Amino acid sequence: MKTTPIIGFEVHVELKTKSKMFCSCDATHFQIEKNTHTCPVCLGFPGTLPVPNQTAIDYCIKLGQALNCEINHISFFERKHYFYPDLPKGYQITQLQKPFAINGFLEIDGQKVRVNRAHMEEDAGKLMHENGQSHIDFNRAGVPLIEIVSEPDLTSSEIAKKYLNKIQQIVRYLGISDADIDKGSMRCEPTVNLKVESASGGKTFYTPLVEIKNIAALNGCIDALEFEINRQIKQWEETHEIKSGTNKTTRGWDADKKETYLLRAKGGNADYRYFPEPDIPPFEFTDEKINEIKQQIPELPDAKIKKYQELGISLLDAESLADDQKFALCFEKAISLDPKNAKAITNLFLGTLKIDLDLDKINPQYFKDLIESLNKNEISSTVAKQIILESYQENKNPLDIAKSKNLLQNSNTDELEEIAKKVIAENQKAVDDYKKNPNSVGFLIGQLMKASAGSANPTLAKEILEKLLK
Amino acid sequence: MDNKLNAFITIIEKPASGIPIAIKDNICTKNIKTTAASNVLKDFIPTYSATIIERLEAAGYSVIGKTNLDAFAHGSSTENSDFGVTHNPHDFDCLPGGSSGGSAAAVGAGLVDFALGTETAGSIRQPAAWCGVVGLKPTYGYVSRFGVIAMASSMDCPGPITKTATDAAKILEIISGHDPLDATSLNVPPYKFCKLKIENLKIGVPSSYLKIVTPEILEKFNQVLEVYKKLGHEIVEIEMMDPSISIAVYTILQRAEVSSNLSRYDGIRYGGPRTVFNQENERRILTGTYVLAAGSYDQYYLKAQKVRTLIINDFDEQFKNVDIIMAPTTPTTALPIGSSTDDPMFGENADQLVEPSSLAGVPGISIPCGFIGKLPVGFQIIGPHLSENLIINTAILYEDNANNRI
Repeated sequence: MKTTPIIGFEVHVELKTKSKMFCSCDATHFQIEKNTHTCPVCLGFPGTLPVPNQTAIDYCIKLGQALNCEINHISFFERKHYFYPDLPKGYQITQLQKPFAINGFLEIDGQKVRVNRAHMEEDAGKLMHENGQSHIDFNRAGVPLIEIVSEPDLTSSEIAKKYLNKIQQIVRYLGISDADIDKGSMRCEPTVNLKVESASGGKTFYTPLVEIKNIAALNGCIDALEFEINRQIKQWEETHEIKSGTNKTTRGWDADKKETYLLRAKGGNADYRYFPEPDIPPFEFTDEKINEIKQQIPELPDAKIKKYQELGISLLDAESLADDQKFALCFEKAISLDPKNAKAITNLFLGTLKIDLDLDKINPQYFKDLIESLNKNEISSTVAKQIILESYQENKNPLDIAKSKNLLQNSNTDELEEIAKKVIAENQKAVDDYKKNPNSVGFLIGQLMKASAGSANPTLAKEILEKLLK
Repeated sequence: MDNKLNAFITIIEKPASGIPIAIKDNICTKNIKTTAASNVLKDFIPTYSATIIERLEAAGYSVIGKTNLDAFAHGSSTENSDFGVTHNPHDFDCLPGGSSGGSAAAVGAGLVDFALGTETAGSIRQPAAWCGVVGLKPTYGYVSRFGVIAMASSMDCPGPITKTATDAAKILEIISGHDPLDATSLNVPPYKFCKLKIENLKIGVPSSYLKIVTPEILEKFNQVLEVYKKLGHEIVEIEMMDPSISIAVYTILQRAEVSSNLSRYDGIRYGGPRTVFNQENERRILTGTYVLAAGSYDQYYLKAQKVRTLIINDFDEQFKNVDIIMAPTTPTTALPIGSSTDDPMFGENADQLVEPSSLAGVPGISIPCGFIGKLPVGFQIIGPHLSENLIINTAILYEDNANNRI
């Protein structure tokens, strides 16, 4: 029997626009005094009307294009009806038939993950239950959300994690959301089931769909998927139940117990009685407008990774460099005078400089000078890593720092030979070891480095030791 | 006087000193109870005023009271009000029409010269005709809906109910024009009345409309046409879609939007629970919920939208050949109190001559044109989108030349 997970995602991204989706209330709601960012519109008072936030719509069209989507030339909002205390109007304004963006994809490890849609909607309020009472905070009601719906193209929890990482990266690169899963500005709801192929071949089965809710962390999402995949394998072995139109269930994730639990079994689909929102006229987007927004999309991680690889940087390092946009831009500025040495500068960035950097404080000349000295063996790579951080923090040329601290590398053969002789004389046991096993020269090099207070050129030190011990 | 009429739900004890105006009680007024004539909102005091109220107050008008209506504007009689029926000022045993029955009765009784109503399909023009006053339903989107408690959002139009067409023009000048708080509001400047010298009008009269009115009303209407003929205007008979088709379309679309718009009244943040909706409200919520359900959406809602497009096209086509369309406003004069209570389609039948133009979003004005017995008769002038100035001037022409003015 061979089982393959089938995973799809609904990802909600909360936009960091100044105002809410359909009114002028402040859209921030995290740790804000309850029900202070509200008005008659987002409270759904009688007679109030929604006026769409143009910036939020532009963000959706931008994100759609960054996810390789087509932008619908005609789009409209619809009402999705259900009763819930946190939903002030008794319906959510969202999109069903004509979302702003459709038919996109992301590439994960060379595999295409199709994006069905990126649509715009409003968030609901927040329910809190304490001491047997329920409270509603409407600060979040009406905050703009983009929902990104993937096709079920993900086949493992590892790929799922990469997919979520990539969405988070893109959203952050576009500057449209903090995409912070812990704070709820990015929410992930996977749907997962299994494709089961019998060992004898021929027959394929699909297990019932399970949607997982209440995931509050990226790692939690992966843990939940792994738990669920294993649970479904066991369940399949016990029941052999296959997917039907009515046996989709919703399970919650318990992060403490690290297990999913049954929330509700849906008997078919709920009827939300969608219909076009009569309070908001349809939108028409010209190619010109769509292109204008596309021009505002910055270079995205994939393009950066490719660019870095072309400079001789490994895939893994390129991914690390491109992970955060500001960090990547600092790196690009640092290598701007010296792109052929990008690999050496990468080591600095992924070493001591892997901190929150300020683009204005990056001086490419310093990097050029440092790498030149490194290449001329004037300083060691250890020293380079050490002084670049100070150079960045103090805005000083790293070579001046090296000079003032006496960290320039000693490449004087005569001086090193003197030290080497002394080291050999003082370490008879290591010398004997070396005679038996030439690979043990490292210890003697280390002693030499120590004796030179770290200033010896290690390559030269090794050559001299080997010559003297021949 | 109002004790007998019951035109008002709320009367302001000491109104400000501006020009008095009565406001239909589904239009939000800051710090003044706004009930939509429903027990659901019987204690609701808005913290904000509708855009049109702010504009009227800025122009020197003062709200003197909030007028009765069918609860949530569901009806054409005011009999569906949770605060009791309003009486027709010309015959207390008769209905004033509705849903803006309180506003029309207040102006008809001479309690006030200016009132605001709202029309979704007939709710300004029909009570205006029955109460012997002028009712203007503007082009959809010309007057802001912000602060107007929604009935059917895609058709709701606030508008004036007054004694004369000139007064209606005055109010329209103040309340019309773009409102950034209403996304469906047209991006046009406010209306400005401008006296037109009306000559050689080509007036279309839809024969299908005349088939469903009483002989007495037809006679009154023919007298109206005579006035225009004498002034040298041309009357042409036109063929329009049977107005009964509009009843079906309107019933489906309006109920669908009603079921959605009334979802917010869940009794959690304000107002009474859903159990206090009256029977007509419940009927409409249930029908609307049904037509939007997954299994019936295509068959009802979608099909009705398609026919609505045909109705819009029908008007567009007619206005290529005629300048305006004229017809009686209602098939009958005011009916006795009690007529609507056991007839869920009462309003749709009473409003069938005004529903097609409401669905098309074009403007119309109802003008009094005499009496049958004690009861007034009205006729309507319908024009293309944003032709308010033409229909108002055409109405003034009648007022100036007919000898049966009220």
